[in-house]
Amino acid sequence: MGDEMPQTSTGTIPLRKFGRSDAKISALGFGGHHLGDAPDEKTAVEIIHQAVDGGITFYDNCWEYRRGKTEVWMGAGLKGRRDKVFLMTKTCPHGRDGSLALQMLEESLRRLQTDHLDLWQVHGMAFDNDAELFIRPGGAAEALEKAKKDGKVRFVGFTGHQNPKVHLAMLNTGFPFDSVQMPLNAFDANFRSFEQQVLPELNKRGIAALGMKPLSGHGDAIKHGVITVEESLRYAMSLPVATTITGIDSLEVLHQNLEIAQNFTPFSEAEMSALRERCKPDAADGRYELYKLSLKFDNPESRLAHGFPLDTQQSEVKDMLGAQMNTGHPFPEKQF
Amino acid sequence: MGCDRRNFMKGVAILGATPLISGGSMAQQQSGQSPQIPSGEVPKKPLGRTGVQVSAMGLGGYHLGSAETDQTANEIVAKALDHGVTFFDNAWEYHDGLSEERLGKALKGKRQQAFVMTKVCTHGRDKKVAMRMLEESLRRLQTDHLDLWQIHEVVYDNDPDLIFAPNGAAEALMDAKQQGKVRFIGYTGHKDPEIHLKMLSHNFPFDTVQMPLNCCDATFRSFETHVLPEANRRGIAALGMKSLGGSGELVKHGAVTPEQGLRYAMSLPVATTISGVDSMEVLNQNLGVAVNFKPLEEAEMQALRDQCRFLASDGRLELFKMTTKYDGKVGREQHHFPTVQELPL
Repeated sequence: MGDEMPQTSTGTIPLRKFGRSDAKISALGFGGHHLGDAPDEKTAVEIIHQAVDGGITFYDNCWEYRRGKTEVWMGAGLKGRRDKVFLMTKTCPHGRDGSLALQMLEESLRRLQTDHLDLWQVHGMAFDNDAELFIRPGGAAEALEKAKKDGKVRFVGFTGHQNPKVHLAMLNTGFPFDSVQMPLNAFDANFRSFEQQVLPELNKRGIAALGMKPLSGHGDAIKHGVITVEESLRYAMSLPVATTITGIDSLEVLHQNLEIAQNFTPFSEAEMSALRERCKPDAADGRYELYKLSLKFDNPESRLAHGFPLDTQQSEVKDMLGAQMNTGHPFPEKQF
Repeated sequence: MGCDRRNFMKGVAILGATPLISGGSMAQQQSGQSPQIPSGEVPKKPLGRTGVQVSAMGLGGYHLGSAETDQTANEIVAKALDHGVTFFDNAWEYHDGLSEERLGKALKGKRQQAFVMTKVCTHGRDKKVAMRMLEESLRRLQTDHLDLWQIHEVVYDNDPDLIFAPNGAAEALMDAKQQGKVRFIGYTGHKDPEIHLKMLSHNFPFDTVQMPLNCCDATFRSFETHVLPEANRRGIAALGMKSLGGSGELVKHGAVTPEQGLRYAMSLPVATTISGVDSMEVLNQNLGVAVNFKPLEEAEMQALRDQCRFLASDGRLELFKMTTKYDGKVGREQHHFPTVQELPL
């Protein structure tokens, strides 16, 4: 590397405090899901190497992304670089037992070739009963506590993209979360808004806020010319968050994102407000935030655990139906 | 079947062995074994403050377009009328007009026996589009007036703003009423009680409001809890729908039997419960419940809510609230959403 893209090797990205802890993470985070879209492992490893060199320290992943492929590729890319990064992955019990969550942790550690995670989050809080299932006796909350006590993870949190009310219900369980991940972008600001309903609560409690879907998850708004990539990323990064996680599936996207992040200056409040106003008409029915209104962005594990139908056209479902390993069983009614 | 709980549950278990759902394959297996329909009629109930009475069970129009043939649709409508069903539901966009055309043919010569409703499908577009749809609906339904005209599928968060914008669909409702083309006006939606309440907050003189009401709704993002009391308070007739989840989801997952689901919905303070029928077998099943219908006791209602609570708690059986599955083609186009094929759920 280096010759064709020298600017990425000398770059720095602003570091920010991770909630109330002393840890610091890069203001732009590397989204793990899209790593699985790279053509092969060799390319994925090269993307990770250049990302580390370019100043990205925060790495996102998840047990259920592409049936483990993205964790395996990220583990290969971080080999010899583990100490330079803040590594997060997610567990996917989706309401089922904490013991299942802990089994997933062992698999994640093995795939990622590490003995500990910096951050371990419960993935995809989506349904109205998820908070109740999380905190129940034997639920995932106990797994988070145990993993932290055993030194396998430094910090714990949860993620979700469906509904701010589900996030608030999770916070109201009283569990001591270190981080919370949510979609934050200029459309969210005016539609079932995490920015308005959840973000202030996290900042009040000193919980690290992790933004995701800065390009609203599928980039349609950019394709339709409503907003540019730079505006989208700058908007998300200008919010009071610890990092903004964005999906990276190619060196081209990496370089584009590094350039924006390395030259990042926050929008003024007037600029933020102007962008929100511009996006408002298109935000009003959620057309660019389908993750709040459909199950398109909910993984098959989550749908099966909750007894929702699968969409057999979805690539994740095809992966899953072809895979040997499949935990797709529901959470137990009796323990709920 | 009396109100004695033991008998009630026993009857339920028997029915549970052979559930019938419109659109379900089980209906085919039931040919020739029609349940006994008691002599008598489907009771009538007041339609809010309008002074008009409608049958406590209404015939859903969407499934009329799913019936195998025009002849089946004719027979369904004729038999429903014979047993006292007067409320007929439809929508401009159902099966690209086939549902309205079939109802129009089936009601030929019987128009005055029926209370005919259809819905306008502007999905945010203006009054002119609404009035053009009204003329098309009247022509297809072979009538010069509707008894009820409702704004269809108010399910997107900004729909109330678009409907009440100057020159919007709300103005079309008023104009049509003043012109005598429709007697009463209302709106429908299956998504979110908050959107329904936003519609009501405009204090527009709606005569009716249609919403999903079933044993799962009772404890999940509930129209029963949030919208029904408000409609009753305002004297607006409440019209229930999706008593079995829209495509029989409540029955297929074992939450309720068809009879339990229908009885629960019909026992709520509504003017009618609209149920889709695409075969004589399903009609017979529905009439078996609706003829001489007596509401459930509150204790029986609560038992059904409790029975469904677990399956209700994440919305898995109310896909119309949690996914895009029940959001129609025309609405998606107007809101720039992906097609049904692209985004099925």
